[in-house]
Amino acid sequence: MIIKLNNVNKTYPGAVPLHVLKDINLEIERGELVSIMGASGSGKSTLLNILGILDNYDTGDYYLDNVLIKNLSENRAAELRNHMIGFVFQSFNLISYKNAVENVALPLFYQGVSRRKRNALAMEQLERMGLADRAHHLPGELSGGQKQRVAIARSLITKPSIILADEPTGALDSNTSKDVIEVFRQLNADGMTIIIVTHDPSVGEKTNRIIRITDGRIL
Amino acid sequence: MFDLIREIGQTLKNNKLRTFLTGFAVAWGIFMLIILLGMARGVTNSFESNTNSIRSNTITVWGGNTSKPYKGYPEGRTINMRKDDREAILDDNENVSDAITSQYISNAVVSTSKDYFSAGLYGVYPKMQDMHRITMWKGRYINDNDLMQKRKTMVINKKNAELLFGDAEKAIGNTVNALGLSWTITGVYDDEWRDYNYIPYTTAKMLSGNNDRIYELQVVVEGLKTEKDGEEAEDAIRNTLSRKHEFAPDDKSATPMWNRFTSYLKNQEAFKILHIAIWLIGIFTLLSGIVGVSNIMFVSVRERTHEIGIRRAIGAKPRSILTQIVLESISITTLFGYIGIFFGMVVMQIISVVFADVEFLKDPTVDISIALKVTLVLILAGSLAGLFPAMKATKVKPVEALRDE
Repeated sequence: MIIKLNNVNKTYPGAVPLHVLKDINLEIERGELVSIMGASGSGKSTLLNILGILDNYDTGDYYLDNVLIKNLSENRAAELRNHMIGFVFQSFNLISYKNAVENVALPLFYQGVSRRKRNALAMEQLERMGLADRAHHLPGELSGGQKQRVAIARSLITKPSIILADEPTGALDSNTSKDVIEVFRQLNADGMTIIIVTHDPSVGEKTNRIIRITDGRIL
Repeated sequence: MFDLIREIGQTLKNNKLRTFLTGFAVAWGIFMLIILLGMARGVTNSFESNTNSIRSNTITVWGGNTSKPYKGYPEGRTINMRKDDREAILDDNENVSDAITSQYISNAVVSTSKDYFSAGLYGVYPKMQDMHRITMWKGRYINDNDLMQKRKTMVINKKNAELLFGDAEKAIGNTVNALGLSWTITGVYDDEWRDYNYIPYTTAKMLSGNNDRIYELQVVVEGLKTEKDGEEAEDAIRNTLSRKHEFAPDDKSATPMWNRFTSYLKNQEAFKILHIAIWLIGIFTLLSGIVGVSNIMFVSVRERTHEIGIRRAIGAKPRSILTQIVLESISITTLFGYIGIFFGMVVMQIISVVFADVEFLKDPTVDISIALKVTLVLILAGSLAGLFPAMKATKVKPVEALRDE
């Protein structure tokens, strides 16, 4: 099992505290392609942030690849994000002044990999995404689909245990969305565990399992 | 490290205008610091060349008037220094290693067929050359033969030599007239602060009536370390003279003294204060640049919150973000600081050439040690300017930073 959540709760403090995740229990096996679906404000993005160690939870336990993710220091959290998780975001989150190959190689910079080696590895990933000819283009010179494939290449470069994708087709037209989902399916076929947060049923139906979340609870 | 430098270079290149505006404030601050330090150096050099013109462990003593009655003598009595005062001081004071007597003939008109000037003639021993730190430009100083043979030889300042002979080189071996006698110029010295006309002590003595009265005594004292040592040496000399000439031991006006050692210490203290003041002024000038850098780094961090969020999400540790922002700040301050140093040094070189003849500004340039100190200041300033924005950047949670657009 790659992900296991036991009774995870998360409340945002404030004048009126907001209990966004309520007793979440979730198990995801290695090699699954899972979608988390729910309406706006249902807590699906908060759940994804917790799974990606971008945010903390209040109570319960979260195991990622048998590592308890709880009360981690910022340094340890960064280390685990870098080595175990690949992120794909709705708005691509590429650095505008770095070209495609530099963006893809960036996670390896934080592992201390030499520039030559990380660029070579980044080129491999871009080739895998069919973007070798766009390697030296800035994000502003790429289409939405190409940007998302660059982001997927970046998420893969550290050979993570899972890929977390937050509305990866949200900013793309339907044809490009299909291409991107096809990339995820292909990666999953190669053994990669992928969790996609989406509100798009057409994306959800392409995954092996749909986890529905409503009002902070998994149905 | 090279990777990090590339990374920083890319960030700075991406924000050219911001980098330039930030750097300009630093370059200006450093430029002003270099100018201030250079000018201070010029003034200090000028003072030092003046105050170093006599050995610093010397006390000059001359005869004055008593300011109080003593042993039946009334106040206002004139004390005439005599040649045997030298021996008495040497005998009484173990730490006095030497004492040199001199004569002075005032208001002599020194002339050639070309021109003249009016000045005193200073009767000296050869040792006075070392005492006054005279560097000969041409010819020689007064020597033992001059003394023994009571020669009418004279050593004059280069400016006076130019006045009398047109070309100072022509003075050597030529004669001048003074006190109705003909004098041979044996040497010309170059000193911007002193224009004594040195003649042999014995000749001066002969011309002054051949008595034992002396004009002044230069006493060399060894082992002086503190201001108190200097004052004690002064008191000891005065005690000896008070016994010999019968005036009150605490009567300072009977034999006025110029204690070069205490003056030297006070000058050193003054130079130190001047240097500290200049550095403080310079650093405060620079501080405005640093506050500018810090402000712009804050803006930069704010603008790049989303980018920082992306970097954090893909594995950047807070320390990496902190290091990058601090190094960006150091890069800006150091790069533009060196531009400021360069222009500051160029301007100081121009000033040193343009004001070469100005006495109060001698060699107003900055040397490598100042450049190194300024470099250290730049690195510290850059670190300081980047530190607070960097700390702010590391405190932003990745999830919040990613939401920032």
